Amino acid sequence: MSAVQMSTLTSPMARMIGRRLLLSVLVLFVVSILVFGATLLLPGDPARAILGQQATPERVAALTEQLGLDRPVWERYFSWLGGILTGDLGFSAATQGPVSELLGGRIAASGLLLVLTALISTPIALALGAWAAVRRGTRTDSVLSGSSLVLAALPEFVIGVLLVVLLATSVLQILPSVTIARPGEPVWTRPEQLVLPVLTLALVVIPYVVRMTRATLSEALDAGFVEMARLKGLPERTVLMRHAVPHTIGPVAQVFALQLAWLAGGVVVVEFLFRYPGIGEALIDAVANRDVQVVQAITLIIAAFYVLVNLAADVAGILADPRIRTSSGVDA
Amino acid sequence: MTSTSSPPGLHRLNRRRLFGGAAGLAAATFLAGCGGPAAAREAGPPRPGGVLRVGVTGGGASDTLDPHSPAANPDIARTLNLYEPLLHWDDAYTLQPAVAEAVRAEPDARAWTATIRAGITFHDGRPVTPDDVVASFRRMLDPDDPKAPASQLGIVDDIVVAGDREVRFVLSEPSPVFDQYLGEYNTGIVPADFDVENPIGTGAFRFESWNPGQQSAFVKHEGYWRPDEPYVDRLELINFSEDDARINALLSGQVDAIDQVPLSLTEVVGSYESIKLLTSETGAWLPITMRVDVEPFDDVRVRQALRLIAGREQMVNQVLSGLGTPAVDLYARFDPEYLDPRREQEIERARELLSAAGRPNLSLELVTSPIQAGTVEAAQVYATQARAAGVDIGLRRVDTSTFFSDQYLQWEFAQSFWNTRNYIPQAAQSSMPEAPFNETHWDDAEYQAVIRRARSEVDATARAALVRQAQEIEFDRGGYLIWGFPDRVDAHQAYVGGLTPNRTGLSLSGYEFRKAWVNA
Repeated sequence: MSAVQMSTLTSPMARMIGRRLLLSVLVLFVVSILVFGATLLLPGDPARAILGQQATPERVAALTEQLGLDRPVWERYFSWLGGILTGDLGFSAATQGPVSELLGGRIAASGLLLVLTALISTPIALALGAWAAVRRGTRTDSVLSGSSLVLAALPEFVIGVLLVVLLATSVLQILPSVTIARPGEPVWTRPEQLVLPVLTLALVVIPYVVRMTRATLSEALDAGFVEMARLKGLPERTVLMRHAVPHTIGPVAQVFALQLAWLAGGVVVVEFLFRYPGIGEALIDAVANRDVQVVQAITLIIAAFYVLVNLAADVAGILADPRIRTSSGVDA
Repeated sequence: MTSTSSPPGLHRLNRRRLFGGAAGLAAATFLAGCGGPAAAREAGPPRPGGVLRVGVTGGGASDTLDPHSPAANPDIARTLNLYEPLLHWDDAYTLQPAVAEAVRAEPDARAWTATIRAGITFHDGRPVTPDDVVASFRRMLDPDDPKAPASQLGIVDDIVVAGDREVRFVLSEPSPVFDQYLGEYNTGIVPADFDVENPIGTGAFRFESWNPGQQSAFVKHEGYWRPDEPYVDRLELINFSEDDARINALLSGQVDAIDQVPLSLTEVVGSYESIKLLTSETGAWLPITMRVDVEPFDDVRVRQALRLIAGREQMVNQVLSGLGTPAVDLYARFDPEYLDPRREQEIERARELLSAAGRPNLSLELVTSPIQAGTVEAAQVYATQARAAGVDIGLRRVDTSTFFSDQYLQWEFAQSFWNTRNYIPQAAQSSMPEAPFNETHWDDAEYQAVIRRARSEVDATARAALVRQAQEIEFDRGGYLIWGFPDRVDAHQAYVGGLTPNRTGLSLSGYEFRKAWVNA
């Protein structure tokens, strides 16, 4: 392959990915302004929220100055943004320490929930979706589709509460209902405490992926090229795995990415419900305490994760789409 | 006993909480019959050893181990187990010796002398000396960084060592009730070289480790002065910001006790054989506050009418599920001089008063916030009752952080929450012009004169008469509408013993876990 051919092969794709990257950076910049602006609109002031009702005017004034709340808004925004870009997430008013110290362990804990949920739900959801698609129109299909529709309609906290009632408190008492880690102990030292949060998140994610997999795979299985493969006498298994499934990778990757991105927000509620010491719980605590820099840092982390996952899905979609992958045209 | 209130952030995510709680309640009620828990193991007689794990409401990243500025419930619980003040409010809300074996006033009550308990030691084995006591109070009163008790200790002019075990408090004015301030839990005695990084006190438990906002662990103080106590070897306090999570942790056996069962869930939780409810009558009070210096509350007739509108029995029944005692606009129910007058709902009389005041169709905005269980519900019930008297009350709901923002003490018509106190100390906190939390801006010359005389009156009979007189004035024209004293309902596993009802308003026997044992 000559250099010229190489560049014509990759450049539209590279340009597309580059454009998405730039767009992502722009989105994050806008998000940073929105996040900063939103925290300014929070009623109440951090110094008083931290000191509680015991706040005497002198203590409030001292803390306000220490937190830099008396400086102009733009100055505060740029010094904050500058900090973020150099890896300094700011100062937590509540802990009187750096935000990164507060969030370090929590990001790992939330990440663990996400990874476990993704690892468990992906194969199950894809398998169930494929199964329903292959048997579309049968009773298996309608049971799967129906139950995934019901599950998809339930908010995560309802699923969580039901699981707690079923498995931890009222009916069976076989699983712990909350996460309690001794000081200095990471959450994974007691894996049984991870079961209910992961199960809740998985039950929220699986239905969407099942439905999307079923829909795209059904479409592919009814398409002309699959018919063609069957007519050529290929075994049904080969038809499914070699011809139909690759066609669904793009759309399913998109849905999967959206679900992952949703998870980053969904952990907030689930962590709250199960008292799981992740960034979601920290976010709720920080909002209540008006711990502004922590709120900003967590929101930005979740937004960055959202943007990254969507970028990855776009790239997967581009790579999976033979029209773009093999195109040598100017526009893709 | 904190200056009031539960800390901001106690009740969060309320839409979610409401739905989640409702769903959980419905599901729990529905399923309660399906699988009964195994036969309960009873606590039996006191026994040493074991671990006690306690779920405590609230707290967060701003948790502290500071003995003199606890804010959230977990802070208070830690304070009560690590440190001890000179005196101690017991379960019946009477003052008992603690770090001091005696505290005596001089005849004119201008000075008080505390005698340190013989042989009492800190967690590191050092004896408590008068210098430690002096340093502890200097720390609370530090003018550069005044701690929470500083406002109530404002009359302290000087603290001096007065003997091998004696410390003398010199006051700026006579104070026959000064000892009551020395029993507040936020006046704990610490070593002169105290450092909050190494939190040492004389309490029944010694600090082991913690993770702010999550959990703290303590071990038995072997040299503790009360015989046999503490019973358990190890104490773990676990923060819970969410009601459902806290109750679920108890039901699934992950904790041995929890504070503050929501009053609407007491029946469900109480139906478990393995769980025991601990219900305490308290002197805590949930007022509606009227600022007497702004219209229309500057007219005493309006205040009287609004007080007559309240159907107090109904509020206790609907808001507190009957778990409380109706109040009649006076606090300090456990003060020996508490008046306990009567005031019934009188809608017609209220209408007349409002007409006389020229405000027959009064329209008001009540600022409400979930600062304590029941406050928002109380506002709703009261607003409904007011309609009968032609008073239109709109509710403005704000979150707790907003409520306690710089607008707190400026709200014109709002709510509050206070724990148990006797009359004079409470008046000093909320009803005098120099009070740090004068929510109603109450500024009545006659009342102030009576309170000033009462708080320096050495003769007990004369003081009692003055306290009663002050209550009469506040009952007639004060700015507080006090409708009830809520009970405190906590819960623990049946195998936990020793936790007794406590009047202070603090949960779980005043968070004094030295009293508890586990039969595990």
